[in-house]
Amino acid sequence: MSVFVFILIGLLLVVLQTTVFMINPVWPAAPDMFYILVAFLAYRFDLIRSLLIILPVSVAMDVFSGVIMGIYPAICLVSFALLKGMAIRIPVRESIYQVPFVGVSYLLVNKGVYLILSFLAPDVLVPWSWPLMLLRVILLILVAFPLFSLFEFFDSRMQRSPISFKMLRVRSGNAFRREEKER
Amino acid sequence: MRKKGNGKRNGSGRSLKIILLSGILLPLVLIFLVSTLGSQKFGTLHRLVAEVTGPVQLAVARGIDSFNTFRKDYLQLFTIRDENKRLWKELQECRDAANRNREALATNTRLRKLLQFKESTDLPTVAARIVGKDPSLWFRSVVIDRGENDGVAKGMPVMSGDGVVGQVFAVSPNFAKVLLAISPSSAIDVLLQKSRVRGILKGAGSLTCKLDYVLKTVDVQEGDQVVTAGYGGLFPTGMPVGVVSRVVKQRRGMFLEIEVTPTVDFLTLEDVLVIQQETPFAVH
Repeated sequence: MSVFVFILIGLLLVVLQTTVFMINPVWPAAPDMFYILVAFLAYRFDLIRSLLIILPVSVAMDVFSGVIMGIYPAICLVSFALLKGMAIRIPVRESIYQVPFVGVSYLLVNKGVYLILSFLAPDVLVPWSWPLMLLRVILLILVAFPLFSLFEFFDSRMQRSPISFKMLRVRSGNAFRREEKER
Repeated sequence: MRKKGNGKRNGSGRSLKIILLSGILLPLVLIFLVSTLGSQKFGTLHRLVAEVTGPVQLAVARGIDSFNTFRKDYLQLFTIRDENKRLWKELQECRDAANRNREALATNTRLRKLLQFKESTDLPTVAARIVGKDPSLWFRSVVIDRGENDGVAKGMPVMSGDGVVGQVFAVSPNFAKVLLAISPSSAIDVLLQKSRVRGILKGAGSLTCKLDYVLKTVDVQEGDQVVTAGYGGLFPTGMPVGVVSRVVKQRRGMFLEIEVTPTVDFLTLEDVLVIQQETPFAVH
């Protein structure tokens, strides 16, 4: 259920990002909201559910943006792996500490993908601009706080719903392990 | 004895009545006579009385007026809130109507330009609306609400009333993605209208394009018109693309550095025309 709801939320964010927040085709101040969803999934969801959500959302981004098909699934997966690694290495669960990492990872992933693309297809990309990129990072961090709260609200509501994914999961017979996990 | 005394009292009562009656009637008669027969002017006493009582009258009359005004205003306070609400609502409705009218006027101007362009060309066209814009910093594309079901195919040129917008990059049954002419991955065969020299127009990612492969020997001036060359069969010949806005002749290299400002205003672009012509990308 939560997978379905988060796919819908992701698609809605993509639609908002490509319509409401893009005032004209060269508008720079549109926050990458799909990236915040990817970050939230990396911090809060397990691998399978995250991938189930990321795939359709990144394909939607591919449809609405860019001229190189498959770039957004690649960006999303790299970002997800990076943030998941960060989440494991730095085990803080408070959004206030996690959100700055989202901004840093956004900058790193974008720069990395840009370098690779400019090497593979040099004439396809708009020239890199640090001021615009930093503007995007700031916007991302600003929007990340309310969006994280919103996602957490939906997530908690989903967990309480009678058809929760957790209830369908096969549980280990080891009660000690189960308690450890739940803790 | 008693009768006599009663008769005396009756006589004195009657005379009192007569005196009172004549005391009232006589002045009235006197006033009547004076007013009808006299000079009709205030005497000294009248004047004195008038001057003394006049200001008092005036003050009282003003007081009454003020009181009436105050009472009226106070009573109106009860209805003024509703009146205020009603007027605000009315003002809002008027503003909405004005906005709608302005919007309709702008749409009308835009569509009129598109229609003029449509009428000026013999090629079949389909009008489309931009429904989404590329949110990325690296690419420049838009999504339009026409697709394969409307006869749109990959590679078809997209125009607006002002000139070339770009070309269809990918299509789905009801939607299509358009690569804008300002995108770095866009390359359009163009001509300098005055000198008929050919070049390749490439997007710069911003609101300008650059014109490549024009030799230094060619005379290019700022303000020269750039139009589609029509080679390769993608764009019809002579469609307006832009105006030369800067020419730089570097010491090194064979070619000029030419900046072209598109004739299309990409900041306000909303409606476009897809020219339905055969393209090398069309799949049948």
